[in-house]
Amino acid sequence: MSDAILTARGICKDYRDGDRVAHVLRGIDLTVERGEFVAVMGPSGCGKTTLLNVLGLMARPTSADVLLVDGADCLSLSDRGRTTVRRERIGFVFQRFNLLRTISARGNIDLALQLRGAALDGQAARVLREVGLEECVHRKPGHLSMGEQQRVAIARAVACRPAIVLADEPTGNLDSANTQLVIDLFRRFHDAYGLTVIMITHDAGCASAADRILHMKDGMLEPVE
Amino acid sequence: MKAAGGAGSVVGGEFVLLGGWGFTGDLTLLRLPVANLLHHKLRTALCAAAVGIGVAMMVVQLSLSHGTLNEVAQRMESVDAELIVLPRHANVIFQGGAIFPDTYVELIESAALEGEPVVAKAIPVFLDTVRLGGQQQRLFGIDPADMDGFLGSRRLRQGDLFPGGRAFKQRIEQLRGNSRRYDPERVTSDEVRRACELIIDTRLARVGGYSVGDVTEVFGQRFRIVGVVEAGVAGRVFAPIQTIRHILNGGVPWSSMFFVKLRDPGQAEVVADALARKLNANVELKTQYGSLLRDSFSQVYTYINVASAVALAVCFLFIMLTMYTLILERTREIGILKSLGATKRYVMAIVVWESVLVCSAGTVFGILLAYGIRVVIEATMPLQTVDIQWRWLVLAVAVGLVGGAISALYPGYRAARLDPAAALSFE
Repeated sequence: MSDAILTARGICKDYRDGDRVAHVLRGIDLTVERGEFVAVMGPSGCGKTTLLNVLGLMARPTSADVLLVDGADCLSLSDRGRTTVRRERIGFVFQRFNLLRTISARGNIDLALQLRGAALDGQAARVLREVGLEECVHRKPGHLSMGEQQRVAIARAVACRPAIVLADEPTGNLDSANTQLVIDLFRRFHDAYGLTVIMITHDAGCASAADRILHMKDGMLEPVE
Repeated sequence: MKAAGGAGSVVGGEFVLLGGWGFTGDLTLLRLPVANLLHHKLRTALCAAAVGIGVAMMVVQLSLSHGTLNEVAQRMESVDAELIVLPRHANVIFQGGAIFPDTYVELIESAALEGEPVVAKAIPVFLDTVRLGGQQQRLFGIDPADMDGFLGSRRLRQGDLFPGGRAFKQRIEQLRGNSRRYDPERVTSDEVRRACELIIDTRLARVGGYSVGDVTEVFGQRFRIVGVVEAGVAGRVFAPIQTIRHILNGGVPWSSMFFVKLRDPGQAEVVADALARKLNANVELKTQYGSLLRDSFSQVYTYINVASAVALAVCFLFIMLTMYTLILERTREIGILKSLGATKRYVMAIVVWESVLVCSAGTVFGILLAYGIRVVIEATMPLQTVDIQWRWLVLAVAVGLVGGAISALYPGYRAARLDPAAALSFE
């Protein structure tokens, strides 16, 4: 029986620059099952990040037929409603980590929990331990290596128990050792807790960790295997 | 559906346990603004300093202007009398000249209500200005016998109360006999010289470095300082009224104003009305002197208030500009907050709190700075009174906090409206 956590139909996204219109997404259809690990590959500029922004409710599609995230009809939601869905059901991991540099690793996670209205009770420390950074609880991002920063970002994304984690080139700035660490983490959270992950990557090796790989080209998705 | 590894479980695909997480505790909204401020210490310090300078300027201007006038008013109110009689068209900052003939003393003292005398004593004062201690001072020409009424509870710190002036008064009374006037030609220059005496207060003595025995030129005569009294008396400079009248008025016994001591202080308002009608003069309650003085300086206050407001506006514009620049610089961070699900209100609150915190620190700094400036002013200009009152401090805190919040509203609004995807891609 299908248990789709994300359903997108006919997603289009255009960008206008004066008279010029760039059709970045051209009718994306995508269904992701709960607990599925999906990798999206494709050349630069094919619209992968835009797709992730639309699926993560960070950007509105220019047109769409269906966009359901964990049962929420996101096309009919106001900005406030989209913010609520994003806060309560979606976790993000970015290529550039996107940690707040003025607060510690733990502070970054606490902040995400606070925004969600969750009590803290030391779970930031616990999730940091899960990603192997128990020694870095009080360090600010500037005092962490890039691999460590990305692991903090993963900890922040999963700490809020999201329905789905969207990862945009999470290994794009990492060396091979840290790349493997990060992919192992995604795999571990996915296997252990049934975490649903949609990961954009250029790296075929990283993509191979996913249950399903989609290829994106010219704003459209094609299944690869 | 069971999670593998036993570290957690998934029910309907949702986490219910991950490493035994529980959700208690809280994180205050202030943590991020505080962290941001501490991360940019120099910028925070500069912003706080800008607000502090504005707040200090406002507090000092208000405290100096009101303090100086209040000090003058309190000095006038220290006189042992209830009413002040001024020329009809003169106001309380009337500076000099004598238009009341001494017949007014009898007119005032003969005032009665329902046949009962009401005035205990009329105290004539001849006002003029002299330059002492580097600035103009109001000189009170008074009868040496009235000096006790001016001193009140304050003490004579040095010297004596017009020894030469008392002798000169006797000499003038002798010359006048039963007449109101005397022939000034009959007074020798040596007699005048001995009567040229001043009593000053301790603040003026400190400013001018004066002490008993010092001589200074006033009205073309060499006046000797014969006494120093505790500050707080009506005038900073006193001289025998007979000497002043002799030098300036050819001995004609006219006065600039009168203090009036009543038999029953409770009748002050009624007697003031009666006296005003009887004398066709401006008769004021001594207790009203402060507000009359402030009324006379209302335009100066307007200027001071406008100057303070402009100074503060500049400070808060600086804050607004800083916060606006900060928003631009922190666009990516705002994108991160939005990706985490921060609402517009939350983003705006972060910006406003940051500004309010800076302005709070600036306000505290400004108040401390104002106290520091007061020390400097009182050390270098002892005749000025910087009276920092609670109401100015409350005003400073209110202006600092409200100004900080208002300054951040527009930058906060801009931050709240940023598109999350665009903000995250900001370089």
